[in-house]
Amino acid sequence: MRWGVVLALFLFVGLIPPLAGLNENLNPDTSSRFQIFLGTSALVLALWAISYNLMLGYTGMVSFAHAAYYGVGAYTVALIFKRYHLPILVGLAAAPFAAAAVGLITGLVAQRAVRLYFSLLTLAISQLLFSIVFSWYDFTGGDNGISITLPDQLNDYTTLYYFTAAVVAICLLLMFILVRSPFGAALLSIRENRQRAASIGINVRAYELAVYTIAAVFAGVAGGLFVMYQQQAYPEMLYWTANAQPVVVALLGGTTTFLGPAIGAFVYVVLDNSLSKHFPYQFDIILGAIVLGVVLAVPGGISDVPSVFLRLRERFRRGEDEADAQPAESTGDAIRMFDVSKALATEAIQADEVRSGQTLLRIERLSRSFGGLRAVEDVSLDVKQGDRHAIIGPNGAGKSTLFNLITGQLKPNSGKVIFDGRDITGKPPHVIARTGIGRAFQITTIFPKLTVRKNLQYAMLAHRGYTVRPFGIADRMFAAEAQELAEAVGLGSWADLPAGQLSHGDQRAIEIAISLALGSKLVLLDEPTAGMSAYETDKAMELVRQLATERHLTLLFCEHDMAVVFSTARTVTVMHQGRVLTAGTPEQIRRNPDVQKVYLGELEQEELGA
Amino acid sequence: MSPGQLLLFTVGGLANAAYLFIVAAGLSLVFGALRVINMAHGSLYMVAAFVTVVIANQVGAGLGFWAGLLVAVAVTGLIGGVVEILVLRRVYGREHLVQLLGTYAVSLVVAGGVRIVFGANYRTVASPIPGHIDVGGYSYASYSLFMIAAAIVIAAGVWAMLYRTNLGRNIRAAVADPDLLNATGVNVTRLYTTVFVIGAGLAGLGGAIVAPSQAIGSSIDTDVLVLAFAISVIGGLGSIVGSGVGALIVGMVVSFGLIIPATSPFALAFVFIIMTAVLIVRPRGLFGLPEN
Repeated sequence: MRWGVVLALFLFVGLIPPLAGLNENLNPDTSSRFQIFLGTSALVLALWAISYNLMLGYTGMVSFAHAAYYGVGAYTVALIFKRYHLPILVGLAAAPFAAAAVGLITGLVAQRAVRLYFSLLTLAISQLLFSIVFSWYDFTGGDNGISITLPDQLNDYTTLYYFTAAVVAICLLLMFILVRSPFGAALLSIRENRQRAASIGINVRAYELAVYTIAAVFAGVAGGLFVMYQQQAYPEMLYWTANAQPVVVALLGGTTTFLGPAIGAFVYVVLDNSLSKHFPYQFDIILGAIVLGVVLAVPGGISDVPSVFLRLRERFRRGEDEADAQPAESTGDAIRMFDVSKALATEAIQADEVRSGQTLLRIERLSRSFGGLRAVEDVSLDVKQGDRHAIIGPNGAGKSTLFNLITGQLKPNSGKVIFDGRDITGKPPHVIARTGIGRAFQITTIFPKLTVRKNLQYAMLAHRGYTVRPFGIADRMFAAEAQELAEAVGLGSWADLPAGQLSHGDQRAIEIAISLALGSKLVLLDEPTAGMSAYETDKAMELVRQLATERHLTLLFCEHDMAVVFSTARTVTVMHQGRVLTAGTPEQIRRNPDVQKVYLGELEQEELGA
Repeated sequence: MSPGQLLLFTVGGLANAAYLFIVAAGLSLVFGALRVINMAHGSLYMVAAFVTVVIANQVGAGLGFWAGLLVAVAVTGLIGGVVEILVLRRVYGREHLVQLLGTYAVSLVVAGGVRIVFGANYRTVASPIPGHIDVGGYSYASYSLFMIAAAIVIAAGVWAMLYRTNLGRNIRAAVADPDLLNATGVNVTRLYTTVFVIGAGLAGLGGAIVAPSQAIGSSIDTDVLVLAFAISVIGGLGSIVGSGVGALIVGMVVSFGLIIPATSPFALAFVFIIMTAVLIVRPRGLFGLPEN
């Protein structure tokens, strides 16, 4: 079906000039040149919008500076042709390089901020570039812009149309290869969840900068093509409001599919042309209404309309027949039966090995304070290879801060973290993830719109260093291994469902599976059973114990539920007010009077507070 | 530069800062309480400017301007209320992208409406406070001084509203911790509508006050919006004090940037260089809130 769409689009694009010519023969009043001109502009708009969608749809970045790179491409072509009298194709070849250079430099600046502030920074950059082009009268012609006259061999509308189509096709092919490569998988995981992307070993900022620059390259080509058919470049091309066009087009066509914006571009050009002739001022209102409708009702754009109908039909059908409803949620069966006695036997042997075993993670006198609050103070502890080490303590004891210090979300003020003989103190999260520390966050952190299998596949790709590859098909890599892993955590039959649709307990299982996909030697679990029912808690901890036993994992977890702690841990460290109070076997901790006091103290305070 | 010139450009800068502060304060207030960047803020400003010009020219300068100002603020407040109820309520808590696009769509609709109702031509209106004051060989338009005074009064009014009323207390609570406010029994839905109406009204006030001082055309919405963004970012989104400081910086940079022939074409570029520098060194602005 997908290739059908591509073929249809190909035929449609190829047939525009002959059809326009035919139309002119039938209705001598019409001009085929104008329709071919519109076709050319739709092609360029498609390229521009798809390049924007590399950021918007695939990485989740909103840039107000993309039009500036389009403008840079346009001015490059116009200046090289008009001012330096070089062939126009030289200009077109230089456009992507000029756009890439400007995109890379300004992208480095924009990257100093994230999300909303990133967008505002791109706005400032865009206006800065606009001011330069607008004010540098001697070089850019100021508000007059630059007009050019094309050489004869390209001055024919049909030739120019096919030339544009060929260039756009090559660019689209390159971008298509990119988005389904492992590199594209890294972008998707950033869009889905920045924090999780970093914790599977993706250097989020580097990938964002790369895609920002790549998008600028293709915007530069689009701008160069624009100059060729419009025969002029003008400063308003760089103004921040010019970004509205690719955004609207991408939204119209759908940001979640590769070719969606191309369809959006043709719809936009046809709408623009037919409406602005009769209703010059109404076009903005109609455009606004469409954007509003898309944003509020159909977030996926035109190419998502079928799925909206499906959802409506499903809802309708569910009303008719409850039993026929789709399984929107899995049932939390994230466990399969295993041999209890055998497991207990291995368990006993491993417990002995652990106490005499090697230290996998050593924390030396780690401290971190926030203002005057000493969240973690002078904490030292050893986690032995193969151990299941629990950290307990009342709220505010510093457990989550300690975890954030270990996995690099926070940097310590002093102290050391040594993992597997390597000093990882203060390293960024993606680097620590690659050394072999996996983490399940307190708030479930997965890629919700990707399928369970892709969650695992992308983790494998990132961990094994494949995501730098801009070619190959990411979805076909490690598919079998990911399926196997999904089955191991009892999610085999849900592997094709979007992870966000699974039950809370199963989503936690995905998190643990992601850690396994990373080949982590040490898995950190931050309150693994928070928010779970008693049934889910039992199932989840059974799974954790089973996986740890089978795969020789070392666990470090913090937990409030004492039943969970004493059924799972082999070593327990108690923290209180940022310090280590004591450590020992579960039995020793249970009998320690200080520990009882800490917990009783908390109870008393709670009573007093209430 | 002579002291007279210095004073002239300072007053010019203050007059710029005056209307920009009024507009930016509305933008910042809405962001602080609702955590939404309102891309339609400039459109409300434009609507108010046109309404003021049309009414003032119909009724006649002087009284007509004041009538126009009141109607303009009422109209923009009303539009703000409708937009909040129909659009914003459906995008709270969603991604920034959705909020940007939703309010951007509103700005397209409003801009289209303005072009249909008022046409695409530039319009002007006579100053309601004509005349000028001469100091040291230079003359100062009385209206510029009025704009500066008006901004100070409005700043005091916004401060009194925030720190001397129950509404203001709730708004400040919403800025500090929206979730907690929810739990204390305040009608947050109504509070949000009120805040957005006030923000829209400030955009309207800015538009009405600016009308006699410049030609009003159908592209002033994006021009003012980008400056209001720059001010809010420099001062810190969500901070009224920040809006004041940001407006002073931007107003002065534009005014003084124009003096020196070599820099005059790039006066606006300086604003964005400062904006970029502030975002890099202090991403939350000089007085900004952490992003939620």
